[in-house]
Amino acid sequence: MINSELSLLEELENLKKDFNSTVDKLAKDLKRNYKTMERSDKQQTREFLKLKALNKEIEDTQKEIIFTLGAIGESRSKETGNHVKRVAEYSKILALKYGISEADAEQLKQASPMHDIGKIAIPDAILNKPARLTFDEFEKMKEHAHLGNEMLRHSNRPLLKLAAIVAYEHHEKWDGSGYPQGTAGEDINIYGRITALADVFDALGSERVYKPAWEDERIWKLFKEEKGKHFDPKLIDIFFENIDLFLEVRDRLKDTIT
Amino acid sequence: MPIINVEKTQLTPSILLDKNLGLVEIKGDSLPENTQEFYKNLMSELKDYFNSPQDKTTVNLEITYFNSSSSKLFFDFFDLIESASEKCTIEINWIYDEENESMEEAGEDFAEDFEALNFNMVTK
Repeated sequence: MINSELSLLEELENLKKDFNSTVDKLAKDLKRNYKTMERSDKQQTREFLKLKALNKEIEDTQKEIIFTLGAIGESRSKETGNHVKRVAEYSKILALKYGISEADAEQLKQASPMHDIGKIAIPDAILNKPARLTFDEFEKMKEHAHLGNEMLRHSNRPLLKLAAIVAYEHHEKWDGSGYPQGTAGEDINIYGRITALADVFDALGSERVYKPAWEDERIWKLFKEEKGKHFDPKLIDIFFENIDLFLEVRDRLKDTIT
Repeated sequence: MPIINVEKTQLTPSILLDKNLGLVEIKGDSLPENTQEFYKNLMSELKDYFNSPQDKTTVNLEITYFNSSSSKLFFDFFDLIESASEKCTIEINWIYDEENESMEEAGEDFAEDFEALNFNMVTK
């Protein structure tokens, strides 16, 4: 071979080497990128599941604390834990039928157990008095709405803010004759109006230290009389239109005799 | 510069390079905002170190979490070490918590990729 051919051959050999090493490097990079992505996907899945589990844990803890707090308030007044559960269920039904979204209705259901939390600050002698309260005693008892609001309103949690509203306004009446503020009509928060009806419905149908459980007919009669007085007329209509749903809850969560 | 010593932050690991001791350490979480930039100094000083390394070099990696651009950088990091592995003895310790499955797998992956390196899996 002549010299020029030899040098060309050498050049080609070098080109081949360069080309091969470049291809090798590209292949290696490609493999590494794929590996990195695979690992990062795996990591993401792991973290996603962990985050979801943690989120559920937080929600469950929140629910349990709220429920337990509510139950403490109830147990002090010798009412059963099921009262709290029933009022929560009734409230959700009323909210949904009123046109409130599923998410907000569920929030109300979760906040509802705290509507009487202010009662933990009311003396036993008043809370569990097996007779009619005197005027002064009743005035003291009424403070539980304000006290409940004071306990909850400083929170930044939406659920606790809602619970504060419910605690504060669940004794207001449609005609303005309720407490603590004496607001009327739609000036009362819808969640307060809903809880008022749910709470009274359950209280009337349950035995208390100061009264036996009322017969259904007597409750229906009172509800009809109090439509537009104690209660939001629209909610009373919703109640009677869906009475089967309420009775189903009452039956499912009835107090077991111990 | 004989020594690099960077404190760890919430998103970046601590970095130690001591050329006199032949010691490299990266410890903590690696999610820098700009990964190339964050490790640039280490990479160039490490390259410089390997021009005249100690007889023995120890690399301790105790990484608890890293993002994908860090993963890419670690490949470059191991490439650099690999290219110096004929000049001196290099020992790499991949230190991880037994419960940190991700880091265990990552260490195994790197060990597999860089067969020529002396790669020890060390549990805490």
